[in-house]
Amino acid sequence: MALLEIDRVTRRFGGLVAVDDVSGAIAEGELVGLIGPNGAGKTTLFNVICGFTPPSSGEVRFAGEPITGLRPWRICRRGIGRTFQNLRLFPNMTVFDNVSVGAVGRLGIGPFESLLRTRAARDRAADVSARTWQALERTGLAPYAHLLAADLPYGRRKYLEIARALATGPRLLVLDEPAAGLNETETAELARFIRTLHAEGLTILLVEHDMSLVMGICQRVMVLASGRKIADAPPSVVQQDPLVLEAYLGTEEVA
Amino acid sequence: MFDRFDIFFVQQLINGFSVGLVYALVAIGFTLIFGVLNVVNFAHGEIYMIGAYAGLLAIVFLAPPWVALILLVLAAGIAAGVALERAAFKPFRRFRDEASLKSKAMRESTLLSSLAISIVVRESVEKIFGADMQAIPRAYADAMQDPIVLGELAVASGQIAILAAALVMFATLQWILKRTDIGLSIRAVAANPLGAQYVGVNVDRTVIATFAIGSGMGAVAGILIGLYQGTIFPAMGFAPGVKAFVAMVMGGLNSIPGAVICAIVLGLAEAVATEFFGQGWADLVAYVFLVLTLVFFPTGLFGAGRERV
Amino acid sequence: MRGVLAPLAVFAVLFGVLPAGLSAAGSGYLFRLADVTLIFCILSLSMQLITGVAGLLTLGHAAFYGIGAYTAAILSTRLGFDAGLTIPASGLVSALFGVLIALPTMRLVSIYFAVATLGLGEMIYVTLLNWVSFTRGPLGIGDIPPLRPFGFDLSSPLGTYLLIAALAALALLVVHRVAHSYYGNTLRALREDDQCADAMGLPVVRLKIETFAIATFLAGIAGALWAHTTGYVNPADFRFAESILILAMVVVGGLGSIPGAIVGAALLILLPEALRAIGRVRILAVGLIMFLCILFLPKGLFGEVTALDLVRRQFGAAWRGSPTDRPLGWR
Repeated sequence: MALLEIDRVTRRFGGLVAVDDVSGAIAEGELVGLIGPNGAGKTTLFNVICGFTPPSSGEVRFAGEPITGLRPWRICRRGIGRTFQNLRLFPNMTVFDNVSVGAVGRLGIGPFESLLRTRAARDRAADVSARTWQALERTGLAPYAHLLAADLPYGRRKYLEIARALATGPRLLVLDEPAAGLNETETAELARFIRTLHAEGLTILLVEHDMSLVMGICQRVMVLASGRKIADAPPSVVQQDPLVLEAYLGTEEVA
Repeated sequence: MFDRFDIFFVQQLINGFSVGLVYALVAIGFTLIFGVLNVVNFAHGEIYMIGAYAGLLAIVFLAPPWVALILLVLAAGIAAGVALERAAFKPFRRFRDEASLKSKAMRESTLLSSLAISIVVRESVEKIFGADMQAIPRAYADAMQDPIVLGELAVASGQIAILAAALVMFATLQWILKRTDIGLSIRAVAANPLGAQYVGVNVDRTVIATFAIGSGMGAVAGILIGLYQGTIFPAMGFAPGVKAFVAMVMGGLNSIPGAVICAIVLGLAEAVATEFFGQGWADLVAYVFLVLTLVFFPTGLFGAGRERV
Repeated sequence: MRGVLAPLAVFAVLFGVLPAGLSAAGSGYLFRLADVTLIFCILSLSMQLITGVAGLLTLGHAAFYGIGAYTAAILSTRLGFDAGLTIPASGLVSALFGVLIALPTMRLVSIYFAVATLGLGEMIYVTLLNWVSFTRGPLGIGDIPPLRPFGFDLSSPLGTYLLIAALAALALLVVHRVAHSYYGNTLRALREDDQCADAMGLPVVRLKIETFAIATFLAGIAGALWAHTTGYVNPADFRFAESILILAMVVVGGLGSIPGAIVGAALLILLPEALRAIGRVRILAVGLIMFLCILFLPKGLFGEVTALDLVRRQFGAAWRGSPTDRPLGWR
């Protein structure tokens, strides 16, 4: 069964149709890319999946259950972790605290248990801390744990975004243009890292601009153009697809 | 035609309308500054109060003719506005670390500083003149109270003066914004401060001009209303300031016509509320409007009317 | 270890040094000053939780203080409740209003929220002023009995001081534990970027309402203490200016900092008091200190976030072109 199903989703903004009747599915364990030229509707589709924008029509199902119209935090707790294209860290908090927010997002915590420091509260705090350290280790950020997020080197901030999303314990990780602003070496490192995550069993949807990254690591690629899905196939096939070539012609080169 | 109650009620509505115009006078300058800079200028009510006190000083020491009085107050308001901008707004434009913040820092960091300045100004005036009501000399104040009888209804000449002032200010502002170079700069900065800077608009000067115009109008509103009501006091700016704010929010934040209309609606609603519930409870009207607008009509009563300035 | 030393020091000062010194001075005025300072410490701590930690700029905090004070005044003068009941009741009533007010307004983004709290605060003031049959309006309510909780007579200066100090210490403990926990981290996340916090699985609106409930509960207790120690409440004590005074304490002390809230409260109560010789300058001093602090000490004395940062983010959020087509000011 597909983990994420997008069923005829349309999203209009006034007269503009940003996403036009798009369907698709991601199976458990897949690493899928979502690409398209600027203004193709990638970000809008992304926002529909994560609950930031309700679809005008259509439905999104996760693990068989509809998640359309749920608030973002509920969708996150169902198991979709996300990163942001333009880094949205909590700058005045430490790296550890940033990631712990994701862990709390998963485990939940109430004010009164923190207040009374009950046994349950201490156990939960230990869980949060363990989860946080685990996410930090996985992303190689453990040495930076006590740095303020604002003081972290730029390349590391991407990993902090991912660590925070990992701490929410996602079944599906959705990455929004993770390679934006990285140079070639850094992009290659990121590609290796994403592959490792995938090899560890995580299902990943990669919304990306950087064709080399997507074509290099994804098993399957969905292509959006002008809000419509024009291709959904393995990278080697997509690269030969005349529709895709046409959509990118003059705007970008298919790697 | 009308029975007694109706006449009384219509009279109340007329009074409410003129109270609404008072709010509108304050709201025009307030909305202009907000519309251009996206800052809540908490000290606008104090500019209004300064206008009233400047007028009182002029009357006591110079006893100038009407036109000179208005011009003096206008000058005082402009000076106060420029000083306010220098003290509470300009310093925060140094907290910019990259080009993208050049416009933002200007419009975004000054809520607290203008609030602090407003406290300092109000308290200083209170120290100098005392907290009590000051009466405007009869020679001037009485001119605002000549009754003008229209059938069974009566309006005071001051109400006409306020209506005229509101119309003149509104028209002048539209003229400045639409027909002059500085108006063009103001609209450019309002639309996109960074872009305006790139095409050669002197943002700093434009901001000062905005404060000068908005504050000048605020100060004239202060003396007019002081004259009409016959007394002025240091805290007089608070209530009209808050109500101008409410009108601005109701009108959609950066629409001056919207703010003017909503100010009048507010004045009328307060008159009706006073009629039915008494003066004290009528003060609630503005706040109820404010909260209801924020909760149910977050873009203002005129929906997506996003016309700026 | 800091974890033991700091509470010990606070305890020693609150219950050892200060009461001993005040008793030695034997001055009712000094005791009163200490009481007022501690009451405002409770208020600034509670506002620190809302504004400094959770990042919600509120301009109506004094209203909850007022609700607490009036609850205590009415319960004790009309129904003869003693302070042992009126103090918790004031906290609960105030928190109830806090939640009722938070429910519709918490969805408002920042600056709109600030304006809404200003409006709601003034609505509560107007109601206290005009509902004469219930609150006696501008006359205020007098003859509020002093602190005699459960029959213990604490109406002496020392007894009153000790009760207020104990409650202030409790408020400090509550705010400290809430702020310095993983729960507190989630509140900081709201302050930094509430949309992002939402995407990380945090129920943003619920967290804000919970914070508001805790803070307004504490403000209500401060109000009850004020009512019982002053013996008289009047609507004018709970107006906008008072909200700004509390805000100034938090800003001067530093947003997000608990010691900051305490030092800010002490500074803004004691400094104007020390300047009494040159006339009634309390509010003027508050305005001036706040302005200079914003200008030259943007992080306050101890803050973790600059005041400007907060405001900047507030405005940034309010004016950021929303990626969705939700109306301005909503999220």
